[in-house]
Amino acid sequence: MHDRREVIARLLRVLAAGALLPALPAPLGAAAERADPQDAAEAGALGYGRDPNLLAPSVPWPLLLDAKLRPTVARLADLMLPADERSPSASALGVPEFIDEWISAPYPQQAEDRRLILDGLRQLDLAAGGSFATVDESAAVALLDQLCEPGGCRDPLAARFVACFRRICLIGYYTTPAGVAELGYVGYQPAAHFEGPPPQVLRRLGV
Amino acid sequence: MSAEPFDVVVIGSGAAGGTAAYALTRRGARVCLLEAGRDYDPSAETPMFARNADAPLRGASTPDKFFGYYDATVGGGWDVPGEPYSAAPGTEFRWWRARMLGGRTNHWGRVTLRYAAHDFKAASIDGLGADWPFDYREFSPWYDRAERLIGVIGRNDGLDDAPDSPPGILQPPPVPRSHERLIVAAGRKLGRPVVANRAAVLTRPIDGRAACIYATPCLRGCSIRANFQSTTVLLPAARATGRLHTLTGAMASEIALDREGRATGVHYVDTATGAHRFVAARAVMLGASAMESVRLLLNSGGSRFPGGIGADSGALGRYVMDSVGSNLWAQFPQMENLPPFNDDGIWFPHVYIPWWGLAEQRAGRLDFPRGYHIELYGGRMEPAADTFDLLDEVAPGRYGKSLKQAARRYYGSFVRLSQRGEPVALARNRVEIDPRGSDRFGIPTLRFDVRWSEHELKQTAHAQKSMAEFIVAAGGRVLGDPRQDPARAILSPGRVIHEVGGARAGSSPKESVTNSYGRVWAVPNLYVIDGAVFPSSAHKNPTLTIVGFAWRASEHLAEHLGRA
Ligand SMILES: Cc1cc2nc3c(=O)[nH]c(=O)nc-3n(C[C@H](O)[C@H](O)[C@H](O)COP(=O)(O)OP(=O)(O)OC[C@H]3O[C@@H](n4cnc5c(N)ncnc54)[C@H](O)[C@@H]3O)c2cc1C
Ligand code: SF4
Repeated sequence: MHDRREVIARLLRVLAAGALLPALPAPLGAAAERADPQDAAEAGALGYGRDPNLLAPSVPWPLLLDAKLRPTVARLADLMLPADERSPSASALGVPEFIDEWISAPYPQQAEDRRLILDGLRQLDLAAGGSFATVDESAAVALLDQLCEPGGCRDPLAARFVACFRRICLIGYYTTPAGVAELGYVGYQPAAHFEGPPPQVLRRLGV
Repeated sequence: MSAEPFDVVVIGSGAAGGTAAYALTRRGARVCLLEAGRDYDPSAETPMFARNADAPLRGASTPDKFFGYYDATVGGGWDVPGEPYSAAPGTEFRWWRARMLGGRTNHWGRVTLRYAAHDFKAASIDGLGADWPFDYREFSPWYDRAERLIGVIGRNDGLDDAPDSPPGILQPPPVPRSHERLIVAAGRKLGRPVVANRAAVLTRPIDGRAACIYATPCLRGCSIRANFQSTTVLLPAARATGRLHTLTGAMASEIALDREGRATGVHYVDTATGAHRFVAARAVMLGASAMESVRLLLNSGGSRFPGGIGADSGALGRYVMDSVGSNLWAQFPQMENLPPFNDDGIWFPHVYIPWWGLAEQRAGRLDFPRGYHIELYGGRMEPAADTFDLLDEVAPGRYGKSLKQAARRYYGSFVRLSQRGEPVALARNRVEIDPRGSDRFGIPTLRFDVRWSEHELKQTAHAQKSMAEFIVAAGGRVLGDPRQDPARAILSPGRVIHEVGGARAGSSPKESVTNSYGRVWAVPNLYVIDGAVFPSSAHKNPTLTIVGFAWRASEHLAEHLGRA
């Protein structure tokens, strides 16, 4: 167990120094010693191509997230989208697995996201002195408060990291059946007529 | 069926080629249809009810499937592997292609607007570009036929810029969705029309095709045949005559000519084996999509027509156009936190904003010569990878429970307004054969050199301002800056995917490639029947006009084949 105040102080120090995410391509410390999965993806994993089977969709690329980072992803995803009175947490809806699918995909946008996300996650672990997953709640919240606050990170890469992670979480969460239901999307219901919005909605719209 | 020579070889199976196959086989002609892409069967392949939850990356846009995983585009996108194109230095052109039976009609936006009388004669009105070689009165019967055949929803509103259809043709449109009602109300405030969209979707069954069930995205295609695709409407009817012979995986490379300069057939490559083949015919129709048809003309002609068939006119490869496009996003507070309800509808806009500025323009009060209309997208669609792209704009820095609250609150409240405008045809906007390029079959490829002019930029500045006015009048907030430099707001040429021109039709071989029927002046048994023939491109999406033109050309050819 790390001393809580020490962890917060270190996380914030790293942020203040603008060093959460160092310039690519050389990741700091321990992260550099592992073979980088992003190289594996660039070495030839294929996308689903221009004519995939639309009736039996599948993800053809290998997943790249290593075991050490998985708890970090889950922790951060649940901080982004925790359980509340209406719906479950990100990890309960498979968001960490989706993040793995996303950052492992061999497409330009996802490859860009992958570099940002993997480096960011490793820096979080480093700053946490082990795994960010074990950092206690108040330290994590203090970090997120600062990371998410617009203009709160001096390091532009840190701001991009958190925005990117949030974006992928939102996709992974709100496209699931539970997420869709929570947003109140109702559709794919064959009907002979399109009724249009109900009266109470029209009242709200003022039209 | 075999027996060459065929009466007609038709190249391409999309809106143009499909229409020709339909019209010619009906008139008794034996047709060989060459399609570069693979066979495609919408009744077996359409993922009508598939959900984003089950798609890789939840259906997000990728270079493999730019419009999402389930989009009915096979083998294509902004690039086609092994079939490159280039752009002149300092220019950008985006060229969307599909490689499948039915071409881009399997996934097009189904907006189906008629040109008005002035659209065919714009040059006579403002002196820019060239007129069409026929007028509205001559062409409108082909609109009537085309609308009856493909099935179009809409209303006759008696507007100066959007002609009515004869009674009994248009099918009843669905009522507007929630966000569309806000724009309708804004139109009333501003004194500008907001009317039912015209779209190639059935709300009443015709010809054995079902009516729309208001439940599945049209971009995936429609296995119940309620919207218009070449593969669900044109090709089945052509096949049923017993006179259609379809070759898929057949990439035309050159029009063959005899010593008299008449077309004798088409050289093509079997895309599976790379083998070079030939199919003979009494006549050839080019409907490979505008730029592909121009490419075929440029790549044909040999020593008889240096520079390509039709090059002697000086018009071949020139006057290339795309609709002028720009977007402005809105967020509507009235749409926040709405209770659950079904707002799917037909998946394409139920209403649109037609061009209201014709009179002002005529009176010289606008600083740009041609009009535009505005399309609306967004609202309460199925949650997808881009649903919360703009969340940071309205609720920055959220995480935790407050992020979830923001997602619930703002879901469905974002709406995109899209300008679709008429460009001015300019000779300098051209395609030519890239001296250094060829595709995987060895066929020389295209280089685009297309740039917007002052006319399009000024129109875009006006459109951005108008779209902002609509948003504000509808009680929304504008996301983005409508006053930004229009050169930044305007989409690159090609991005609206209404690319036309390059082999314009006209009334003289000195300035056009074909006559008013798409018949190539220099080669009387060769016709160009797709968007390549457009001398001007009104802001109205081109496909209905392509279908009408191809049908008219096919009837003309059928007369000449003597099998009427
Ligand atoms: C996303 C999207 C939305 C759109 N929305 C609208 C809309 O709302 N309204 C509208 O009017 N238009 C819209 N369009 C444009 C519309 O799709 C085209 O105008 C229309 O499909 C053109 O028909 P076409 O027959 O000329 O070409 P295509 O439909 O592209 O068909 C051409 C066919 O020819 C084949 N081909 C090409 N070269 C060769 C060759 N050398 N040999 C053999 N075959 C060849 C191709 O593989 C293709 O199948 C949209 C397009 C897209 C992509
Ligand atoms: S919305 Fe209607 S026309 Fe479009 S695909 Fe669905 S059922 Fe077919």
